[in-house]
Amino acid sequence: MQVLTPITQALEDGALTRRELKALMARSDRPALMRLLAWVMTLGVTGGLVWLAQDSWLIWLAMLLHGVVLVHHFSLQHECCHYTAFRTRWLNDVIGNICGFVILLPNRFFRYEHCDHHTWTQLQGKDPEMIELPVGLGKYLWYLSSVPYWKAKFSELFRHVAGRLTEAELRFLPKEEHATVFWEARLMAAAYLAIFGFCFATGWWGPVWYWWLPVALGEPVMRAIRMTEHVGRPQVRDMTENTRSNLVSWPMRFLCWNMNYHAEHHYASSVPFHALPKLHAKLNGYIHVEPRGYFGAHLDILRQLTGRAPRADAQVPPA
Amino acid sequence: MMREKTWRDLIAVADLEPGDATPVALEGRELAVFDTRDGIFVAHARCTHGAANLCDGYFDGRRIECPLHQGLFDARTGVALAAPARVPLRMVEARVRDGLVQVLL
Repeated sequence: MQVLTPITQALEDGALTRRELKALMARSDRPALMRLLAWVMTLGVTGGLVWLAQDSWLIWLAMLLHGVVLVHHFSLQHECCHYTAFRTRWLNDVIGNICGFVILLPNRFFRYEHCDHHTWTQLQGKDPEMIELPVGLGKYLWYLSSVPYWKAKFSELFRHVAGRLTEAELRFLPKEEHATVFWEARLMAAAYLAIFGFCFATGWWGPVWYWWLPVALGEPVMRAIRMTEHVGRPQVRDMTENTRSNLVSWPMRFLCWNMNYHAEHHYASSVPFHALPKLHAKLNGYIHVEPRGYFGAHLDILRQLTGRAPRADAQVPPA
Repeated sequence: MMREKTWRDLIAVADLEPGDATPVALEGRELAVFDTRDGIFVAHARCTHGAANLCDGYFDGRRIECPLHQGLFDARTGVALAAPARVPLRMVEARVRDGLVQVLL
């Protein structure tokens, strides 16, 4: 089977040299540990704001802010799932599992699902993480509400707890991993139940105010960010077309572990988050970049779904 | 009738990427030459999981990581070390003679 990875294509096109690529791939524990320290401090600050605002209506704003940070555990988990956050490989597994527990995303299952996303990026019916371009404004807002997302995530968890997989999941999960995925879901569900039981028994509802409610409030922000990566881009194999990088402010780059450089990441998923800005500079002009950032990406999406621009899914080539 | 294997010149040691994986083509075969901390080893270059060319992946001196899904192999033995890689790499017997990497094929 002849498979041309995006980075192999970029090397053949002369977008960068092999030496440059290998230098960008260099691994280190230090950048991630430093950022993790800042991450925990940020969580301490936003969690502190929730505590300070607990007797005021401002608690909802504080929980939203705290939630926006919490849902970005996805970005760290994603980096860990590629084994690029830390040079020490087991640290990626440990931190990835912790992040997955925070946001209801079992790590082993996500690893396999995400592998298939990189194989079949933006191809209808093949990419297991594909977010479709909404048919209209109503569906766009419905997706951003996160209700369909949570429905899918809870269904997924219950299904795996029950030892069942969908046809789509069977395509990317080898049979040797089925038991691992089932037990991962069962352990996760048991831990959530134990925490809930502890809250119920003690009357201390800290996890609700500092974790679950903020995550629910913050998830629409994560849904909006996830939409900017591929939604509205052509449904083709070509990585120069099917993925969007977004130029965003440093606080957002901090939160998303530089995953706004999404096209660069898809080009060379072995390049760690801390080297993505350098890869971005190397691939300048070779990939699709949205200079207006997340808002620009949503303007692009909105133009397509309101008929002011051709829909990217209007002409889907045969798979 | 099976052809008897013979030692063939593959690449000069001086032309290898030092401490890294070097892609080499030999009669239609895509091979990866790994300059490991324990010596030079040669394998078929395609990942046994997703068929990406392993030479474009991260190499830490002993282990090669697939550039597509980050599956992991021991570059000295071909053993698959981490998911989604499960099937070992096809290793090719190699030696160094007079500054040349030779393979038994």
